[in-house]
Amino acid sequence: MSEKEFEPNIIAFTCTWCGYPSANLAGVNKIPYPANVKIIRVMCSGTVDPAMVLEAIENGADGVIIIGCLIDNCHYVSGNKKAEERMERLKKLFDIVGLDSRRIRTEWINASERVRFAKTMNEFVQQIREIGPAPRMPKLVKEALTNEKIQKEVKRLIEDTGAFDCVECGKCTTVCPVAKYDTEFAPRTIVIRSMEGLVENLANDKDIWTCSTCEICNSMCPYKVDYSGFIQGMRAQARQLGNYPICSQGGLIQSFMRFMANADLPQKRLEWMTDDLKISDKGDVFYFVGCIPHFDAIFGDREELGLNKIPQSAVKLMNAAGITPVVSNSEVCCGHDLIWTGDEEDFLKLMDKNLKLIKESGAKKVVFSCPECLRTFNMDYQDFAGDLEFELVHLSDYLLNLINEGKLKFPEGTGKLSATYHDSCRLGRHSKIYDSPRDLIKAAGINLTEMQNIKDKASCCGVSAWMSCNSTAMRLQMERMQEAKSTGADCLLTFCPKCQIHLSCAISKELPIDKEKVDIPTKDMVVALAELLESK
Amino acid sequence: MTDDTSKGNEGEAIGVFLCGCKGEISKFLDLDAIKDLISRVPKVKSIGIHEALCSREGQEYLKEEMKKHAFDRVVVGACSPNIQGIIVGKALEESGLNKYLFEQVNIREQCAWVHPEKEIATRKALALVNGGIHRVQMLTAMEDIPISILPAALIIGGGVAGMQAALDIARAGFKVHLVERTKELGGRAYKLSMTFPTHNCGICCMQYCKECVFTPKIEDVLQEKNIDIMLNSEIEDIEGGFGNRHVKVNTPEGAKEFDVGTIIIATGSKTFDPKRIPELKYGHPDVLTTVELEQLIVKEREKGTGVKRPSDGKTPKTIDFIQCVGSRDKTKGNLHCSLVCCTYAIGQARELKKLIPDADVYIHYIDLRGPYRGFEEFYDAAKQEGIQFVRGRVSDVSAKDGKLSVRAEDTDAGTLLGIDSDLVVLSVGQEPAEGSDKIVKMLHIQTDIDKFMKDINPMFPPELRRGIYVIGCAQGPKGIRYSVDDARTAAAEAIRIMHDGKVMMPRITARSDEYKCRGCGRCVETCEYEAISLVDDGKGGRIAKVDEIRCEGCGACAAACCNKAMILAGYAIPQVRETVKGVLEEVPP
Ligand SMILES: Cc1cc2nc3c(=O)[nH]c(=O)nc-3n(C[C@H](O)[C@H](O)[C@H](O)COP(=O)(O)OP(=O)(O)OC[C@H]3O[C@@H](n4cnc5c(N)ncnc54)[C@H](O)[C@@H]3O)c2cc1C
Ligand code: SF4
Ligand code: SF4
Ligand code: SF4
Ligand code: SF4
Ligand code: SF4
Repeated sequence: MSEKEFEPNIIAFTCTWCGYPSANLAGVNKIPYPANVKIIRVMCSGTVDPAMVLEAIENGADGVIIIGCLIDNCHYVSGNKKAEERMERLKKLFDIVGLDSRRIRTEWINASERVRFAKTMNEFVQQIREIGPAPRMPKLVKEALTNEKIQKEVKRLIEDTGAFDCVECGKCTTVCPVAKYDTEFAPRTIVIRSMEGLVENLANDKDIWTCSTCEICNSMCPYKVDYSGFIQGMRAQARQLGNYPICSQGGLIQSFMRFMANADLPQKRLEWMTDDLKISDKGDVFYFVGCIPHFDAIFGDREELGLNKIPQSAVKLMNAAGITPVVSNSEVCCGHDLIWTGDEEDFLKLMDKNLKLIKESGAKKVVFSCPECLRTFNMDYQDFAGDLEFELVHLSDYLLNLINEGKLKFPEGTGKLSATYHDSCRLGRHSKIYDSPRDLIKAAGINLTEMQNIKDKASCCGVSAWMSCNSTAMRLQMERMQEAKSTGADCLLTFCPKCQIHLSCAISKELPIDKEKVDIPTKDMVVALAELLESK
Repeated sequence: MTDDTSKGNEGEAIGVFLCGCKGEISKFLDLDAIKDLISRVPKVKSIGIHEALCSREGQEYLKEEMKKHAFDRVVVGACSPNIQGIIVGKALEESGLNKYLFEQVNIREQCAWVHPEKEIATRKALALVNGGIHRVQMLTAMEDIPISILPAALIIGGGVAGMQAALDIARAGFKVHLVERTKELGGRAYKLSMTFPTHNCGICCMQYCKECVFTPKIEDVLQEKNIDIMLNSEIEDIEGGFGNRHVKVNTPEGAKEFDVGTIIIATGSKTFDPKRIPELKYGHPDVLTTVELEQLIVKEREKGTGVKRPSDGKTPKTIDFIQCVGSRDKTKGNLHCSLVCCTYAIGQARELKKLIPDADVYIHYIDLRGPYRGFEEFYDAAKQEGIQFVRGRVSDVSAKDGKLSVRAEDTDAGTLLGIDSDLVVLSVGQEPAEGSDKIVKMLHIQTDIDKFMKDINPMFPPELRRGIYVIGCAQGPKGIRYSVDDARTAAAEAIRIMHDGKVMMPRITARSDEYKCRGCGRCVETCEYEAISLVDDGKGGRIAKVDEIRCEGCGACAAACCNKAMILAGYAIPQVRETVKGVLEEVPP
């Protein structure tokens, strides 16, 4: 498509009180503007969810403009201000992913400003014309799913994961943290239902999305059934049958991943880099950052999180040991949240991109700070792509090694911080890394006080792959935070940025119990270590 | 595309109607082509084109079609749903269609009238109609919410506006609670000795006189037994929603509490504090505001001692009025024009000239504004009487050895003036009354850019006004007459809804999905109207619950909910998604 031929599709979300009437008046006064603009009326500019904007792009829009009442003049007092804040965060995210934030615009137009309405539309259409078309998602060509096909697939899954050996002892349900609060949920019955092999079961089964895949059941099952593997596979089938999970942020996070999978976009994911950090394009050690820059933008209103400090700290620690890691702007999301929400197709695309990128960098070792990325490479990539040519190391092991080799040293007398440690499921039960973080804590001079449930029995942060964050999740989070608080430690350390987000989210607003019982800050381990390194 | 718990794809028999609008649409769009393509969309049972759907014949036609096809959803492609859409919707509702299962897309204002190329306009109209078809399949039938209106009113502020409203409502037989923060009724107008347009009338509006026989009178208010007057009183708190609000007032006799169905806000305005513009030397004894000059004139009138300047008791011979003090200049005060000060200053200038015939009276103005009948004559008379009008801004007032000097431009003559002045009068503008921000917060009132309260457009139906009316100068500067007008219209509507005792409110409200809600309270924090609370979920946790009557349906809570457990009826993510999809799909599959 040549530049000249390109006619963008523009969705204009207009509020009922000013945006929509201003368009009406433009009409009454016959003030022309490009037909590219299609208006969708909403109650208030503040009704517009970031997910609606991204979905509009996903469904074929090239630009989205939101029109509300003048600031300070909102029919709903402050809806436009809220919209503006949300859209600013979304714009940041658009730039990180490479979708170009100029595709989103907010404009505050009074009901009487018909000329301004038309003028704004002209300008916006022109701007999007210049930017060019938004990336298009490939149309899903759905293979006709037959009962037999699904049954075959499920049967294969049952065999592969050992679910066949299930003797219905119910151990998994007894230990399952979700089942503890959600009385309708029982891991065992999902296995049983699937053995009945009914397609309808799978198409309507909400329980397969409820499982937090924390793998407590795996570690407790006497017959070593790979329950979470079974769930992962079942989800891919369910999705094909139109059975979708309930996703946090309206599915925004997964949507961005799909864009990364399906288009080569000019990302800006290294905005967290600072001048004092040393990174390179080629080298032996590749540091895989993961989705942190995205989360930093999405949760930009939760300042206490400071997520971008995680990659900064990781590089700082490596630099301190004389290592200049490869960090790439072309890295894409590992795909963890796609495969766990059943989107195998896009997951594989992300995997291919990452594997190619790492290969090109010449790295022999990939270091991860994020437990999910590690698990995904280690298990899922190797499952689909066979053995990888490079070594996969978690930062805890990596740093510990550097300390043992004498390359990394923490200043003496730092032992002022007292902390407790949360084993995230992806690092602990999924990757079996329990001791290195603890050794690292000791080496850095942190006073560790353990919680009641640790290592393979550690409780869950409640949410995985950004779905099913409901009251059960809240209860799990309360439970975990209570445990953490009762250690008397100053903070709760964890390696998983999502555990940090979810656990701190749970205690940040209204609480069903006394705030004092759960009031302990959650901190990323990498950040804490880097701070200790710098403290004198 | 990952969140899909809400139902969709509902509706088995969709009816589509396209309106030609007597040529206004049919001349600019190819409606037949649209009909042709749309008829291929599954579930669309029939498409009709009519010349004018909102006409009597059009409404009959809709009803017949409804009878014939028993549509369960209807899409209309016509004008703006805000105007004639209401008529079309009514006709469909009368034939048994639930009003929430109907969608009107705007192919007139948004297509026919703004895209001159027929083919392009037609293609867009097709897209919009298709969007509508997608949308109706995502809608669910709902009923309006009946809201009871208590038969009592609260009036905040006992100025001319508040008093008029109190009288009207009380005389219609409803209880009125009138709260006034000062020790007396009357407000600003009571303190003005000569008001425009009568000019020579004394305490206008407060007494019987031939000009203002219809304005409220303090005496009448005091006599009316249905009015409970609370003087020296302040609103402490107001809780509740449309039709039923609990009010707490601090009175000298202690706290008073009562419930009301309607609220009228008549808090008026306060004058601009000229200390905020140091160049004007307010604080010098001979620099007065118009309000202070008023008191001098009143004193003169009562005692007949003549107007004397405060510093040395001498009769001023050169008097300078400075207009727009604190008005029409955002950097020094407010951007808005205070509307009454030009008229008022001219009145005072004429009065002074009458009392001191040999005085030079200057009025320094930017341009004169008096959007009232009779203003031009008033201004003309002032000129005849020798008042000197100087167009141009005053840069400053200096005070050397106690002598005042006004430095001003005369843009008509193109000169800079330095006038030695005996008395400088500042025409101070108006700002919202003290503490009105508290009322704004309590009642979730929209404010204007100038921070005055906004009254919801009186043309809107009562359900959109929530039983709260802002009248008089609380809305912004205006004259007495207009303040009284406001009072009467607001009172009329308050009386009507209290008389009916009930208002039907559209169910475009938020609700939380129990299965998804985690009780985090983010929505509670976001809601401007305090419509959401967390309630026990019976399992040791909490979930959000929306008070439908308080909810205004803005959807801010839904966007704030991380887990999308909060849903605004009609605007859930899947509903918006499907509409957008339909619009972008252009030609139906
Ligand atoms: C200097 C000046 C000159 C004017 N000259 C003219 C003129 O010549 N002709 C003309 O037509 N108009 C004139 N006006 C305008 C006129 O005064 C107003 O239109 C009129 O007073 C408005 O009446 P109101 O009841 O809305 O407000 P107000 O008269 O201001 O009365 C408001 C009342 O509410 C009370 N109040 C405020 N806040 C609270 C609260 N929180 N709780 C309880 N009580 C509260 C106040 O004490 C006051 O009694 C002039 C205005 C000014 C400032
Ligand atoms: S614990 Fe293992 S064997 Fe027992 S029911 Fe669960 S999956 Fe089956
Ligand atoms: S825990 Fe908080 S951040 Fe995490 S998914 Fe739930 S609501 Fe969102
Ligand atoms: S009414 Fe006259 S003096 Fe008052 S702000 Fe308007 S222009 Fe200025
Ligand atoms: S924001 Fe969402 S999850 Fe939180 S309380 Fe409100 S509805 Fe429930
Ligand atoms: S829709 Fe708006 S008014 Fe209603 S509960 Fe939500 S935030 Fe409050």
